[in-house]
Amino acid sequence: MMATVRNPARDAVAFVGVGTTPYLRDAGGKSATALACDAARTAIEDAGVDLADIDGICGSSVPTVSVQAALGLPAVTWWSNSSLPFSLLVIEAMNAVFSGACTTVLVYHSSLRGAGGSKTAAADPFRVHNASDAHGHNAAMTAESPSGTYGYCAWAQRYLDTYGVGRDALGLVAINGRANAARNPHALFREPLSMEQYLGARMIREPLCVLDMDPPVDAGDAFVLTTAERARDLGHRPVLLHAATSGRTDRPFADQLEDYTISGKEIVAWRLWEKSDVALSDVDVFFPYDGFSIMALSWVEAVGYCQPGEAGPFLAKHWSAGENRVLIDGRVPINTHGGSLSEGATQGAGHFREAVTQLRGDAGERQVPGAATALVTPGGFLWNATGFVLRGG
Amino acid sequence: MSALPDDAALFERFPGVGLDHDNKGLYRGFLERELRLNRCGACGHWQHPSLPMCPRCWSTDVVATPVSGLGEIYLLTVMHQGPPTPGVDYHSGYAVGSVELVEQRGLRYTSAIRSDGIRPAIGMPVELEWIERSGAPFPVFAARP
Repeated sequence: MMATVRNPARDAVAFVGVGTTPYLRDAGGKSATALACDAARTAIEDAGVDLADIDGICGSSVPTVSVQAALGLPAVTWWSNSSLPFSLLVIEAMNAVFSGACTTVLVYHSSLRGAGGSKTAAADPFRVHNASDAHGHNAAMTAESPSGTYGYCAWAQRYLDTYGVGRDALGLVAINGRANAARNPHALFREPLSMEQYLGARMIREPLCVLDMDPPVDAGDAFVLTTAERARDLGHRPVLLHAATSGRTDRPFADQLEDYTISGKEIVAWRLWEKSDVALSDVDVFFPYDGFSIMALSWVEAVGYCQPGEAGPFLAKHWSAGENRVLIDGRVPINTHGGSLSEGATQGAGHFREAVTQLRGDAGERQVPGAATALVTPGGFLWNATGFVLRGG
Repeated sequence: MSALPDDAALFERFPGVGLDHDNKGLYRGFLERELRLNRCGACGHWQHPSLPMCPRCWSTDVVATPVSGLGEIYLLTVMHQGPPTPGVDYHSGYAVGSVELVEQRGLRYTSAIRSDGIRPAIGMPVELEWIERSGAPFPVFAARP
């Protein structure tokens, strides 16, 4: 028996507010709670709603009680702290609004660069003792732990071996991100990147080098979501959640995944296109998650642009030499903000911010002309794949 | 040979490990230098990591059972940095892999891959070896190209 696909929430919930903080290597003594509150404040101001209108709150590791109390949200009827990637919070918030558990919801995520990131970070007692667990690190991890970073590096090696692909396929993801980040003042890394620089970069866990892994940042992001109906009365062009899903198989452990092609990303792609009224050819801008470069290649394949193992040649074929970035069919850019590889590691929050900004038409010199449909695929292929079709309302 | 430690003593031998009733057999096995993975007493299906129910037949008769330690490298990465780990030096590259064990297709155990100067590779046969770490035996794999 195959599960029935329904999508009663189609276009029923909208993003109406976006907020963020600077993405920094060191936010200078701000706590994860402070970063969440800074982002939340700008999102609420951007939405133009009253505090009394916000009756739902959903966050990552910073407790919702702290953020609600700091902001002074007088009466909420729904709250949740959820695991990452950030997209899982968006799905929870969408469901809460759609069900009527709340009407207007604040969704936030913040992270502090962990103590293991550098010598200066390790010298900061607040990072040593209080860092939020955005990257799944914990004290019991050893070199041999088959979780966290391991899975993506080890599957990347198997991917290259299986399909006879070189590291330059991964490099195209990093280079594309940098070219786009040059037009994003919010991004951490904005200098152009060449393939020579990529191939010569410091190896971290073979085959992934430092440019294949998103740089940890001190940062916060926040969004306000409400019903599509209410969104039409607010100041911005609403951005509708047209279709949303997550996907996971029964072998959701990094080293036990049955096969690269039998993973959560295939479940996401199948379910997402079943739920959506629009097709891949309707997509104007694509946001494959790139916390590790291999994840972006895997999403290019899973959503249907090409077959497994072909993402590298696909990106090369659709490379705009003039702009030094991907333009699928000369039209569809990928990760216009630079992706988390260039903007900074915020577990998918940055991808949503940019998607909403593009669909509002507010992306300035990064604006994709006439962008009406965005495909956003946060998370990876091991246990946390998710996918979204967003549409300008 | 001293008697195997009771549950309280097992926690003392493996500080920091999230021991529970489902994986205590694995870690008791470490102390006897046997890699014991959970196997269904009803249908014989192996599983890892250690969970309390057989996903094939839903039997809860799941027993930590020794594996041969033979298999081949299915996933592999050579680490040049990573979490601080006793006895691990990342400077010359530290290979960690997921070994598909001969007992069952898709049954994998992840640990260090030792290869004595040969570059390990996906598909290479390996066998189990034991090293000492923090006063207890620890399973690793040795490449047998």
